[in-house]
Amino acid sequence: MNPIIQIEHLAVGYGNGLHTKEIVRNLNVSVFQGETIGIIGQNGIGKSTLLRTLTRLQHPLAGSVKIDGKNIETYSRIEFARIVSFVSTESIRLSHCTVKQLVAFGRYPYTNWVGKLTSNDEAAVSEAIAMVGLTSLAGRFINEISDGERQRVMIARTLAQDTNIIVLDEPTAFLDMPNKFEVVHLLSELARKKNKTIIFSSHDLNIAMKEADRLWLMMPDSFIDGAPEDLVLQHSISKVFQQSRLKFDPRRGDFSITRKPVGVCKLTGKGNVLLWTKKALERLGFETENEQGEHTVEIQFQEKENEITWQLIHQQNTYTFHSIYELASYLKLEFGKSLT
Amino acid sequence: MIFIVLMLLLTGIFITDLFFGSVHIPVKNILNALFTGNAGKEEWDLIVLNFRLPKAITAFLAGAALSVSGLQMQTMFRNPLAGPDVLGISAGASLGVAFVTLGFSAILGVQIEGLLANWGIVFAAWVGAGLVLFLIFMVSLRINDIMTILILGILFGSVAIAIVSVMQYFSNEVLLKSFLVWSMGSLSNVSGVHLMVLIPSVVVGLLISLFTIKMLNLMLLGENYARSMGLNLRMSRFLIFLSTSILAGSITAFCGPIGFIGIAVPHICRMIFKTSDQKVLMIACIIVGPLLMIISDLLSQLPGNGMILPLNTVTALLGIPVVFWIIYRNHKISSI
Repeated sequence: MNPIIQIEHLAVGYGNGLHTKEIVRNLNVSVFQGETIGIIGQNGIGKSTLLRTLTRLQHPLAGSVKIDGKNIETYSRIEFARIVSFVSTESIRLSHCTVKQLVAFGRYPYTNWVGKLTSNDEAAVSEAIAMVGLTSLAGRFINEISDGERQRVMIARTLAQDTNIIVLDEPTAFLDMPNKFEVVHLLSELARKKNKTIIFSSHDLNIAMKEADRLWLMMPDSFIDGAPEDLVLQHSISKVFQQSRLKFDPRRGDFSITRKPVGVCKLTGKGNVLLWTKKALERLGFETENEQGEHTVEIQFQEKENEITWQLIHQQNTYTFHSIYELASYLKLEFGKSLT
Repeated sequence: MIFIVLMLLLTGIFITDLFFGSVHIPVKNILNALFTGNAGKEEWDLIVLNFRLPKAITAFLAGAALSVSGLQMQTMFRNPLAGPDVLGISAGASLGVAFVTLGFSAILGVQIEGLLANWGIVFAAWVGAGLVLFLIFMVSLRINDIMTILILGILFGSVAIAIVSVMQYFSNEVLLKSFLVWSMGSLSNVSGVHLMVLIPSVVVGLLISLFTIKMLNLMLLGENYARSMGLNLRMSRFLIFLSTSILAGSITAFCGPIGFIGIAVPHICRMIFKTSDQKVLMIACIIVGPLLMIISDLLSQLPGNGMILPLNTVTALLGIPVVFWIIYRNHKISSI
């Protein structure tokens, strides 16, 4: 199978001849039709610049990007607009523009000089709106819908543009959790059902890992490409966040902030209660273990008919609590000074 | 439907404009003058055919031209307060006119009079407006950011105004007054001969504007999106600059700088039609602009009084409340 996108010796950055600043150098990577790719990296690492170069909004400093074997710089504007569509981080605030009108903008590479929509175009617009599940909102003004809905409208616009490749810069920024998941899920579904190739950048590693076929990790001195699971197994993910206090836990596929431990807590039990008690203790800065050894406090719990009680053994005294909140409050009070 | 109502309204107001003026002429005689060329009295013929009709046509052209270029500027700069003068076009035109009315006479000691002065002013205004626009276009070839271009436009305009001020300071009272009269705006200096130039200019400007409709629609989403949907940004900017300078430049040349029509009318059209579709808005501007312009002209004559107010004071008094009302109703006009 031939790759749809071939990136060869690509260098991207800013510059106007005299002063150039390369942000990404010598990038070599290929993308296949139908793949969903998440680009992960810290702010300022060049994610947006790379995406802007792929969408021809700026020129590469060196190297080339080929789509279907042809250098993107050699496509005409209209040809290119029929192959690659783009969703940027800019928020659209138009006062009298309906959802349908905005999606219809996607048809512009296909319309005549005044932008008249044919019945074909109308059908493509309705289909695009249906695909993102917004048919009932088609007549609403876009400044009257939620951020999540507006982002789906922008995606519908790329569907109306009917391009094989969709590039999105931080499509989940400014969205709440459920919307973040829905937007990324929608993207990976489009990739699967419509065989679209989707490249998006994101700060939400959790979401990107769950939905992307491949992750591109951008770091100051390296670029790592692979399936999310491969990257976890190679310990690549934790490298991205090396400088920050964020620690990636490969067992849980999750992040935690590294704190100096306040103490060690011996915790025994099993099931959900164990899991959530442990989370609370971690939040308070305790390390937990379930074996005999040096420990500051010991916690046990009993579950009886919807009632849970926690026993805390601290300096030979035993205290009983009826909620994690009570337990945590006590620990905060006792260990408050070292918690700061 | 709304279009038909507006068209009827415009036709009505256009005819009304012919009936009112500082000299009272019976309705029957006006109609005679229009259709047979004979109003009964020679001076009535003269007034209707050589004064009122050209003025009404000029008002129509000015309203359409300024509103359309205002719409283009607001959309291109994505700024609700943009108007035909943001690019420094009126300032450039003023500079050109100042050179002719103040400069030549002051420097050469010759006062240009008659036909030469008349066409001289028009020509100078065009050159001034064109010069500023050319500078901005050259800048826009190098700078992509539209906000930077907007700021540079305002700066160029300010420089032109500053030079005009210097020239005003050094010129004598008579010349100064003739310049100030021009700068207050007037529809009545345009004669039939002038219309031979003004009509084709505005028609050409409007035709080019029609070609920018699709580009303007794309620009609503900002330039990145516009380019990602296949827009040729440089070409679009050129066409928009060109049509705006032809439209606003010609009107400013013949009528002086007329304020507020260009800012207010696009907003009124958005309020009436509740759309951001530039095709609808541009056609609406071509109807509502003349409507508002002719109403301003009627009001400036203070019917029955015989006195004529400077046009700019009327457009300001009429335009500002409209803009105020829009801001008040929307609470904000941060978006176009």
